[in-house]
Amino acid sequence: MTNIIDHYVDQHIADTAHNSEVMPAWLVQQKQSAIEQFKSCGFPTLRDEDWRYTSLKSVVSKFFEVKVTETTASVDLEPFLLEDLDCYRLVFIDGRFSLQDSTMPQSVEGCDISALGSMSLIELEQAPPALTKGGTVSNGFSALNVAFSKDGYVVQIADQTQLDKPIEILFVSASDNVAAQPRSIVQMGRFAEAVLIERHVSVQGLTALSNSTCQIELNENSKLDFYLVESMDSAATQIHSLDAELAKNSTLSCRTLTLGGGLVRNNLKVSLNGEGAHCDMFGLYNTAGKQHVDNHTNVIHAAPHCTSNELYKGVLDQRSRAVFHGRINVEQDAQKTDAIQTNNNLLLSANAEIDTKPQLEIYADDVKCAHGATVGQIDEASLFYLRTRGIAEADARSLLTFAFVNDVMERVDIEALKDSVSAELAAKLIDEKVDLRSEA
Amino acid sequence: MLSINNLHANIEGKKILNGINLEVGTGEVHAIMGPNGSGKSTLASVLAGRDNYEVTEGSITYRDQDLMEMDPEIRAREGVFLAFQYPVEIPGVTNMYLLKAAINAVKKHRGLDELDAREFLKLIKEKAAMVEMKQEFLYRSVNEGFSGGEKKRNEILQMALLEPYLSILDETDSGLDIDALKIVAKGVNLIRSQERSMILVTHYQRLLDYIVPDYVHVLAGGKIIRSGGKELALELEEKGYGWIDELAAA
Repeated sequence: MTNIIDHYVDQHIADTAHNSEVMPAWLVQQKQSAIEQFKSCGFPTLRDEDWRYTSLKSVVSKFFEVKVTETTASVDLEPFLLEDLDCYRLVFIDGRFSLQDSTMPQSVEGCDISALGSMSLIELEQAPPALTKGGTVSNGFSALNVAFSKDGYVVQIADQTQLDKPIEILFVSASDNVAAQPRSIVQMGRFAEAVLIERHVSVQGLTALSNSTCQIELNENSKLDFYLVESMDSAATQIHSLDAELAKNSTLSCRTLTLGGGLVRNNLKVSLNGEGAHCDMFGLYNTAGKQHVDNHTNVIHAAPHCTSNELYKGVLDQRSRAVFHGRINVEQDAQKTDAIQTNNNLLLSANAEIDTKPQLEIYADDVKCAHGATVGQIDEASLFYLRTRGIAEADARSLLTFAFVNDVMERVDIEALKDSVSAELAAKLIDEKVDLRSEA
Repeated sequence: MLSINNLHANIEGKKILNGINLEVGTGEVHAIMGPNGSGKSTLASVLAGRDNYEVTEGSITYRDQDLMEMDPEIRAREGVFLAFQYPVEIPGVTNMYLLKAAINAVKKHRGLDELDAREFLKLIKEKAAMVEMKQEFLYRSVNEGFSGGEKKRNEILQMALLEPYLSILDETDSGLDIDALKIVAKGVNLIRSQERSMILVTHYQRLLDYIVPDYVHVLAGGKIIRSGGKELALELEEKGYGWIDELAAA
């Protein structure tokens, strides 16, 4: 039996033989060095400090197939679409772009939205530096992503351009035992503004892996609202890495809303490189059953007068587990930094577990950095108060749970998205109650 | 309306109520007075259905039903209301939302049509005016950042909205200045009627200047040791709770 490393290395050899002619030489080279890196580092283990609370046993024991052909599985998208969301839409099935399911903007000036896999050799030569310079390879997953990625979205918004509608990118895992490896790039010009929604879903019961990366570059005074909505089935695994570089006076707002997925790991790295840059990072995770959700965030204050505001809220039920690891680095030159980080957790079951770990590394002396983490349960006094007003216990519990996540939900500015996340959360809380009853 | 017979209750194994007997008729207002630790608030909590108290003996009959058999929300829908001594702050739930959920839970239970948004708004504005509550408080999180007086006013607003048959006001006067006390008392007096009964739990006689009770009971050591008319409150005010200790010892 081949080992798991060889399994991927062999697929890479087959893939290269099949595709290298349609790729520029630098990209072939990039992929080659990524697979070499994967060969030497392999998958992270519990011994890696950044992965010590997240066991990957279930993922690394599976021999996922990385699709080398371009055929996409046929799948009914209807259940995954948000009816009231007025947006441009790019659909990726098993990591490959599906033009027929997408709604592309027709000649919006200053806005170039395309799929990496559809780019010609000439277009690839002019691709944003985030692609050409090779991406960030920080662990086995990002190495695999660079080595195997053929597709992903590429969004380039020109200077002074404001996109009229949000762009939704829907990633659908539709084939069993397939590892999708989308690699995406966003480049915001000076004073450009856009709203981007990444949604990840999977067909029920499929053992799928989605290993996606996104590199974002914000030029001076640009503004990007980024939503990551994770609703995969509990049989699926999701590894998501987002890497953002912010120039002077630019603003990035990230909302990471995790409701689904058996094992989910989000790596969010934001570098504030230019004076006056600002980033918001709001997160919500609701876990049940045996779900495991790990949010790893890192904000790097590399320039003076930058601000970052981070708030993650978790609701954990049954035997689920969540990890929050928030690191803030303040470099020597980053005077007048103002950074806040908060992680609050609500445990609905005695068997749920949260590992929360704030980490501050500060090398400047004139900064404001605050962090705090809490873990609690439904407040019995509040519960009793609501019940004495005629509200049934189950309703009171769900009301208090919603109240707990309210300050993150309030940051979801797109009504259709807020409604769908609320509905998904409500349905999940009800399911959990039903499960509890059947367990009893 | 309410009949309490030989009620004994413990909290964490410690005896708090030692055989309470109390009859509250329809339309009557009863005041229960007593020193700190006499069991006044425990009695209020037991009536509302708080589950950290264990009732070891006795019975409570409310409108011909066994009150102890009902969950707190069922008691509320059947018309029992507790105005809390310390109303709970609930960030993230607006006052409006709570009030609407509460009134509709009661209406549904009684087989009545639930209020739509417009009907509810009209009703709540009327009731808020009754307790002189500014409308902005309706849109804020329940009790969050409210002053002591505002919290108590919010309790009376809920009471006015739900129109309970039996209201239990647990130390509603505590922490109120005289102006706030007058507003709260005015609200209570507007709700007072021939169909509704009230139990006022209080440490001080002061509240009873504004809400005049039909009966006054003195609670000490978990038992009612003296009952009388409103003049009993004055006697108590004059002689102090030391007098009670003497009575209890006798």
